[in-house]
Amino acid sequence: MTPTRSFSNVLAAAACTTLLAAPALAAEPIKIGVPVGLSGANSVVAPSVVQSAQLAVEEINAKGGVLGRQLALEVADDASGAAGAQKAFDSLVFQKKVDVLISMETSAARNAALPIVARGKVPYIYTSFYEGKSCSPFMYVNAWVPEQQVPPIVDYFNKEKGAKKFFLIGSDYAFGRGMLAFTKAYIEKTGGKVVGEEYLPMDGSDWTSIISKLKSAAPDALITSTAGGAPNVTLTKQLRAAGVALPYGNLAVDEGTAKGMGTDAEGIYLSASYVTGIDSAANKSFLDAMQKKFGAELKTPNDLSVPEYEAVYAYKAAAEKASSTDEAKVLKALGEVSVEGPRGKIEMSKQHHAPLTMYLGQVQADGSVKVIKSFLNVDPDAQCPNLKS
Amino acid sequence: MPDRESALRSTALASLPSVPRRLVRVGLPAIVAMVLVIAGPWVLDTYTLNILVRALFVAITAITVDVLWGFSGTLTFGQSAFFGIGAYALAIVFTQFGFGPWQALLALAAAIAVTAAVAGFVGWLSFYPGSTPLYASVISLVLPIVVVQLLYSGGSFTGSSSGLVGFESFDLSLEAWFRLAGAAVVATLVVASVALSSDAGRVLSAMRDNDERCSYLGIDTSLVRISLTVVAGAVAALSGFGYVAFSGVAAPENAGFVFGTQLVVMVALGGRGSLIGAVVGAVVIEVASAYLSSSLPFVWELIVGVAFVLVIVVLPGGLFGSLRDATSALRGRSAVAAARANSQVTLATLERAAAAPDRDDVVVEADGVSRHFGSLSVLSGVSFKARQGELVSIVGPNGAGKTTLIRCLADGRERSEGTVRIASHTIARLPPDRIVGLGLGRKFQAASVFETLSVADCLRIARTKSDPPSLLRASSVLALPAAARAVVESSGLAERLGEEARFLSHGLKQALELAMVLALEPRVLLLDEPTAGLTRAERQGFAGVLTDLVARERLCVLIIEHDLDFVRQISSRIILLHQGRVALDGPVADVVDDPLIREIYTGNNRSNKAM
Amino acid sequence: MITLALDIVTTAAILFIVSAGLLIVFGVMKIINFAHASFITVGAYAALVASRLGLPPVLAPALAFLAGGLIGAAAERVVVRRLYGRPLDAILATWGLSIVMGQLVTLAFGREVQFVPAPISGTVMILGEGYSGYRLLMVGAAIAIAVLFTGLLNGTRLGLSTRAVIMNETLAQGLGIDSARVRLITFGIGCGLAAIAGALITPLASVDPNMGLSWLIGAFMLVMISGGSLLTLGLSCFVLGGLQVLASTFISPILGGLTIAVLAAVALRLRPEGFARA
Repeated sequence: MTPTRSFSNVLAAAACTTLLAAPALAAEPIKIGVPVGLSGANSVVAPSVVQSAQLAVEEINAKGGVLGRQLALEVADDASGAAGAQKAFDSLVFQKKVDVLISMETSAARNAALPIVARGKVPYIYTSFYEGKSCSPFMYVNAWVPEQQVPPIVDYFNKEKGAKKFFLIGSDYAFGRGMLAFTKAYIEKTGGKVVGEEYLPMDGSDWTSIISKLKSAAPDALITSTAGGAPNVTLTKQLRAAGVALPYGNLAVDEGTAKGMGTDAEGIYLSASYVTGIDSAANKSFLDAMQKKFGAELKTPNDLSVPEYEAVYAYKAAAEKASSTDEAKVLKALGEVSVEGPRGKIEMSKQHHAPLTMYLGQVQADGSVKVIKSFLNVDPDAQCPNLKS
Repeated sequence: MPDRESALRSTALASLPSVPRRLVRVGLPAIVAMVLVIAGPWVLDTYTLNILVRALFVAITAITVDVLWGFSGTLTFGQSAFFGIGAYALAIVFTQFGFGPWQALLALAAAIAVTAAVAGFVGWLSFYPGSTPLYASVISLVLPIVVVQLLYSGGSFTGSSSGLVGFESFDLSLEAWFRLAGAAVVATLVVASVALSSDAGRVLSAMRDNDERCSYLGIDTSLVRISLTVVAGAVAALSGFGYVAFSGVAAPENAGFVFGTQLVVMVALGGRGSLIGAVVGAVVIEVASAYLSSSLPFVWELIVGVAFVLVIVVLPGGLFGSLRDATSALRGRSAVAAARANSQVTLATLERAAAAPDRDDVVVEADGVSRHFGSLSVLSGVSFKARQGELVSIVGPNGAGKTTLIRCLADGRERSEGTVRIASHTIARLPPDRIVGLGLGRKFQAASVFETLSVADCLRIARTKSDPPSLLRASSVLALPAAARAVVESSGLAERLGEEARFLSHGLKQALELAMVLALEPRVLLLDEPTAGLTRAERQGFAGVLTDLVARERLCVLIIEHDLDFVRQISSRIILLHQGRVALDGPVADVVDDPLIREIYTGNNRSNKAM
Repeated sequence: MITLALDIVTTAAILFIVSAGLLIVFGVMKIINFAHASFITVGAYAALVASRLGLPPVLAPALAFLAGGLIGAAAERVVVRRLYGRPLDAILATWGLSIVMGQLVTLAFGREVQFVPAPISGTVMILGEGYSGYRLLMVGAAIAIAVLFTGLLNGTRLGLSTRAVIMNETLAQGLGIDSARVRLITFGIGCGLAAIAGALITPLASVDPNMGLSWLIGAFMLVMISGGSLLTLGLSCFVLGGLQVLASTFISPILGGLTIAVLAAVALRLRPEGFARA
């Protein structure tokens, strides 16, 4: 079996997409910029995100595109970090002159990109779950924030596992700190206690001393919030190697990464707005289409990649509602349109964020996620009170 | 002989013509560059301008790397750390206090103050007497790692892995930023160029060529290097400041080890030792990676990597260095050599600061000097006095400790026990450059000069301690004390003032080194086997020079020699060392006829006369 | 307490395994191989290939040694050979080599992070506390490597020639020892050892084209303070590795990562030639 060459696949696919676009209509294609972590911490999930975008673009183009124009993807590598994001966004906004940016990124990358997005005046749909309260008139978010995701896990540990003492581990950046700050506040509000809080830099992979501290603190449960992808895997591997078998809630793992971890992932609790097991017609046809398009190369669709798919459709809806790709009109329309996707009906109507149905699940031995409980239409609360929408 | 005053006046007058020449050489390209910088935004598109502004700020830091590495010989990976300090100073101040004039000034002051402190500390750590260039490079490796880890541990104050974004910054248009960055690069190039080609700048090249010789000419090389580190660090910090003021994002990668090595790659490829090469290397690599990183990311970096290896192994001069070699090859070596030899350097003589004293004070005093290496004793209990006007030869078989004795006299840290006094000052643990200041000059066994500098420049460096060189001018008058001038003229060096020292014959190099040491106007002269490898005629000439020095200038000369005939001819006194002890010490006639000297040299140790 | 002690011992073992190859090259050839990081990466990818091919995990280090050794020997012939006597240029050229190798690895395997499953999972009970079995295995591996190479150096003819070259190359050449061949083999072995280290550490972490980099500076500093002696290297790994673990545990893991570099720099200031004879 040959080692994966996802980047060249991406390149080839992007080329094919643009080739498909060319002969169809004389009109210029609408360019969708996808800056994503092809290298670095997010490189584990990035391929799945690109695949989602590719499927959405292919489906839309087959039905005639948007406003009579075909869609084209421009993928760039943000190296999962601030410096790389600057370069990627500069290239997409000023060189490739994309019409919209739709992507999933680390919080470090997103924060570095926002000034460029503002300067270039390009609509930006952020499709990654994150720590909340990031606001820009140019950005919409269709993924969850801590207010939607954290309570299910903490409540479950509290009530079903009787956990009172919690240990928190995270990656040291906006996401890790933000998530765990919310989690700590929620734990204390519900009568629990945090007995330890430790961080490693985003690229760190040696959790040895933190794991030793965890063991000596003897908590009832562990909750982690590392950067999605590599740090999740290294932490889990090392936890299991050290024999840690506590109830383990992972705020940042997605189904795809969990599958990649193999047996180490068994027993992890996660709270997500998407699991492959969602029993709906939309999800089933989505999964069928993905399987058909990518076959053996398919990366498990997950909570970081499905919002990307839905976001492309959201852009289509917004552009059609505004009857133009003009950025001001599209931005207004994005807050008003709704999309029926694998996650159900998504509308980014709450201060540029979206109410979502959340699922509390546990990873099984075969890597699939068993849904324990679901919560309908959880409100994101006030994320951006200063934005009018 | 013209007096000192007129010599200095003619120095001032003669340096004037050189100013217009250097002015043209530096000024003309600078003006052209500024025109390009001003016109740039009218021609280039937004994306290119964007990339160029960042590339230009990086180029300024690349220039500092070139100055440190190409000119003064210290390979540094750490300039990125200072870039990062400047960057974060701005980001932190603007994040904590908002944006405004006093905040901008505070950020600027913080950038420079923190950098100066860190650079000073790093310099102190890296450049101590006896340190190696490798150790300095090691420290420069560790620095960015430490800085980045400190940034990671700063929580929300430094933004940790995310870096700092979203702070308000200077509101200039893209065009204005481009012109500002371009002007900054041109200014840095001009200042660096003028400073490095000035007399003071030559000192850097001298230190790079031969650090020990510089110390023994009284130059505190550690201090020079530390000062250079601080200045280079401050410039790098300012460029980091500008970079983040423009881009609005400060990330740990800006201070990291990888960026530090990229700077070295840029300078190596562009041409180390040529300032413009650093700028070209930086701009080309930054621009090309921005354009190619989306289409051919791996192939581009692969090409850079291969080019870098090639440059290091085969083409050390990089792009501009190879161009320079190619043009001089085209012009023909003889033309270049002739141009160099015909440099308009004129000799002048300095008047003696004070009349040579007719007294015979004790100027060298050793009292119980010993040197042990563990249990091995190289010198034990060596005591003697030497006076002005004495020519003392130190003789003895190999391994007797002669060179070690010279070292103990010239370097306060060498000896294990005992006291040494030079000109009535105890040298305690002083390093060589301070002892030179007391009036000591040391000439090494293997001619220790500055290989890539011209004869005139070598001699000028020797005058550094007494006539501090200017950072602006490159004077064309070489003022030397009478004794030094005499050596220069009698040896034939006066006809080859423009020639590089490495092209001189062995005998001429020895003469050059002697002239350099005499240029210090020392009271004590230490010579280590100065006639080794000289022809008979050269040796006679040398004997004449030495006896002259002792008679007219009343120098005290200590000379290690094996040639006993030579010794007998010129010395007034002989000290015989044997197995680390003084075996004989007295006038020539007494020592030479003593049977002990024959026994020691032939290895017969029957009599153990204690002296 | 037991956990802390075991952390220290296993960390020291891992540091030793990673640094041994660099020490061998430095001790014999007096140059610093900055491509060491890339050879660690090569070994890690060799282990990845081995696991993809379904080979038993025991073969991964062997495959890694082969890959590292051959590439190292080729590098010595083409690049390193011209740099003896130019130590600073050797650092730069090997760093350039490392860039080239990193890009070739990326072209072949892609730049995303990948994973190798651990051959031993689960814990071993030591004095009442469970500790990662694989980490304990590292201690065994470190000892095996030390014994093997000391045996090689002291018990074989190649080892004897190598020791002669270390002490006085010109004299060794004059006595008929082919020092060029000794250098070639030594460099190959040093790189092969780096590759073995890569193969051994990947099950603990992850594989990506730049993974070797984080080990480079630590290994470099440890080698610098150890002079040329394997024994001193072991001691340095123990002392500095131990301090790193203590700093990570009691101060912060971020500052703990600094410990080796900073302390080694200070130690070198005090004793520039390293501590080999101490």
